[in-house]
Order: sequence, then C-alpha cells, then structure tokens
Amino acid sequence: MTGRVIVITSGKGGVGKTTTTANIGTALAKAGNKVVLIDTDLGLRNLDLLLGLENRIVYTIVDVVEERCKLKQALVKDKKNPNLCLLAAAQTRDKTAITGEQLKKICEELKEDNDFIIVDCPAGLEQGFENATAGATEAIVVATPEMSAVRDADRIIGLLESKEHIEKYNLLLNRVRPNLIKTNDMMSVEDVVEILSCELIGIIPEDTGIITSTNKGEPIVNDDKSLAGQAYQNVAKRIMGETVEFLNIDEPQDLISKIKAFFQNLFAKKEQ
Amino acid sequence: MKEIFADLYNKVVDFFTKTEEKEESKNVARNRLKLVLMQDRTNLNPRLLERLRGEMIDLLSKYVVMDKELLELNFTPEDDQLALMLSIPVVRAKDEDEIEEAIKAEEAEKERIAKLVEKAEELDEDSDEDDEDEEEVEFEEEIEVEVEANDDNDDEDTSNEDEKEKSSEEKSEESEKTKKKKKKKNKKKKQQETSESQEQQEKVEEEVKEEEKSEESETPEDTEKTDDEKEVKEETSEE
Repeated sequence: MTGRVIVITSGKGGVGKTTTTANIGTALAKAGNKVVLIDTDLGLRNLDLLLGLENRIVYTIVDVVEERCKLKQALVKDKKNPNLCLLAAAQTRDKTAITGEQLKKICEELKEDNDFIIVDCPAGLEQGFENATAGATEAIVVATPEMSAVRDADRIIGLLESKEHIEKYNLLLNRVRPNLIKTNDMMSVEDVVEILSCELIGIIPEDTGIITSTNKGEPIVNDDKSLAGQAYQNVAKRIMGETVEFLNIDEPQDLISKIKAFFQNLFAKKEQ
Repeated sequence: MKEIFADLYNKVVDFFTKTEEKEESKNVARNRLKLVLMQDRTNLNPRLLERLRGEMIDLLSKYVVMDKELLELNFTPEDDQLALMLSIPVVRAKDEDEIEEAIKAEEAEKERIAKLVEKAEELDEDSDEDDEDEEEVEFEEEIEVEVEANDDNDDEDTSNEDEKEKSSEEKSEESEKTKKKKKKKNKKKKQQETSESQEQQEKVEEEVKEEEKSEESETPEDTEKTDDEKEVKEETSEE
C-alpha cells in the first residue's frame, strides 16, 4: 500500500487548518480508508483537542524523532474510528525540534500501511511550513474570503509551486457566509478562485456547529445534519477521486432558517 | 410594529435554540480546557506519569494486594489547583508478616545491587554514556492520594467517565510495550559491546551508567527476568 501524503496549509492563522485536518481525516476514515493525522505545530498543538484525544497522548512526534519510542506506539487511535490515528505534536518543544527530513522519513514509513497521511501545518512561512510540506506530495490551501487570508494563501501557493515534490494543490474556501456574499459584503467564491487561479476542492459554509463540535472534541463530519459537515464529507469524496457537485449553501434549507435569515437581513440593514 | 414582532420572534427562537445541549457543550469545553491548560502549564509529561504510576504500584504493593490493571492515575482540576487522583482497587491489605517479608526482600535486593555496583565500578571505568535528556518533573501541586477500597469504587469512579478508564488502560498497555522495547534496546547494546567477559558483567556496567544519571541507588539487577514488576523497576530506576 502506498498512501498519499496531503499537507493542509494556509499561511494565515485562524482560517481553519486544524478543523479542516480533523474533519477531512475523519471523513476519509469513515469511508473506510486508513488515515493518520500528523500535527506539526510544535509547542502549539491543538489537533488533539479537536479530536478529543488530549488525554490519551503518551508519545509525540518529537519522541519518535528522538527515538524514545517506535512510530506505531506514538499513534493515538481515535475514540470512534479505529482507522483513524493521530500523531501528536510535542507541547513543550519548539519548531526546531524536528527537521523536514525527519518528517519526510516518518511520512514514508506511514505511507506503507496507510491510505492517507494528512499533515496539519502551522501558520507562517518559516521552519514549521518547510517541515510540514517536506514529506507531502499534495497540498490543500485553506483560505477564508477575507483580504488577509487570500493574500497569505497567494504567498503559500507561490511557495508550493516552487517545490517540486508537491504534485498538486487545491484551494479550500472556509467560513463562507452566503448572506454576506448576497449583500456584496463578502468576496464570492468565484472572486477568490479568480484571484488565486487555483482549483477549488471545497466550499465550507460558516457554521456555528463548528464551535459546539470543537467544545465536545468531535469533528463536525460526524453530524450528518450539519451543512459544514456535509461540505467536508464532499471534500473527502473529491480527494478520493469522486466528482461531487458543490453544495448549495446559498439558500437556507428549512422554513425557520429562512424566516430567521429574513429578520437578520432586516436588522443588518437597520444597523447600517 | 415590525420591531415588536421581530423582538418577539427572536425571543421565541432563542427559547428553542438555547437548549441544554448548548449549555453542556460549553461546560465540556471549559472543563477540557482547564485540564489541558493545567497539564501544559505544569509541563506534565505523560511518559513520566507512567513512571510515577509504576513507582506507585511498587510502593503500594508492599502494603496491599491490589488489582494493578485497574489502578488509575488521573489529574483533575480542583479549584485553581491540579489534583493528582490515584484510585487503587484494593483486594485486601497485607498482614504484618507479609509486609515485613516484602520489606526484607527489598532490603536484600538493595544490598545485592549495591554489591553489584561496587563490583562494576572496580571493573569498568569507561564512561561513554549515551545519555538522553532526562526531564525533571517538579510537582508543585499538592498531591492527593485517594485510596479506595474495592467496594467503594462505584461512587467516584463512574463519575470519571468510561473514556478515562479506557484511556488509562490503553496507556498502561502502551507503557508495557515501551518497557519491553527498552529491554530489547538494552539487549542490542549489549550485543554490540563485544567483550569476552560474562554477560553479567556487561549488565552491571549498563546498570552503572543508568545509576550515574539517577540520584537514587535503586537499580534492577537481572534484565533476564521477565517479571512485570522487574520491568517497572527498571523503568523507574532510570529517573
């Protein structure tokens, strides 16, 4: 088995890299793939929290690199899905504790008996980014429809293009708010895609369910009713090679949200 | 008029959306965060926790017969401090004879180790230590030890969520694996040291190196023995 190594990156912080990693990983595992998630944000790990595995971590990636344990020992199995494992970052060390070569070696080893290795990249362009991308052959660039995020995504795309081992990269647009796009207060998906000229792999709507799912340490893809969860599931399908239409996130689905949206618009106009 | 209607509508919507679930998830997040932050701030290392667990078992098994598999070591936030909760399923207390026996056995072992160490010091003076950075743990928090009799388990343990139990079990499994692994490592090292002298001497040398790192004078002697308890001791002695 030769697994695919996909790095989730963005440049800007707070756009949802870690949430994306957790959800795509969970969705891929739910579809029957063997998945390992690697948190490379040394010193500021959070992927464990989103998966609700923070109390189960014994060994971290630094322990693996410094040969205090075997790679397999450091993999923390997910609570629900045995196909999903986490390789956590060390909380007490900084980005210099591992090198790109070492991470590449880990990825190569994991490739042998996993379908997907998803690497959660830290924000920024420095060592952390170099490390995280070293072992990857594919990348997903996460951006929100905001100026700063799009600008940073453009920088990242430039850097990815200069890396020969990155065979392909796609854009994932996160926290899209259809209501704001409708009133022309937010750049539309098409705008961002045009500016970045990068192929789209997913559109994730802003969803308050993300907050509660993070609170509970359970990725939102486990909630079938959630729109963001469905969107992430579709991203996973596209990664697996299926062609899936982009979710229609424009119209609120049920009557209550329609009424709610009506009043929200009403107030928004009043405030202006 | 519209405003009044909107206000009323919002109140109704809020009433239905502010369900208990939302409250709950907020509290879950608060508690999880508190625990994680405390662990981060105190720099508590899960690996060292496992060692602590092992040492605790060693110490306690001198005085009580207990179910080692079910022993739980958890951190729970209490007020502003982190409490170390140790729940020990006690099968029965040992009687005085047994305790004395255990203490005697321990002393005898210590003496034997001391002798071995002396021998080793005479034999070997090479100090090519391959030292790993030993991390020091400072427990600034008060350590609360809760000893529960087996029967009382239900009261407090069930409140600690099944997950935690599972996780601690998993951890103990993993730690056992690592111990075995370390043993293997030791053996490999020994094989590399291709001296004609007896195996025992080599072992002793190994132990001395470990000894130098630690302040305590407790070291295991025979790595050949596959007892779990021996392994635990081996682990603890490295500290």
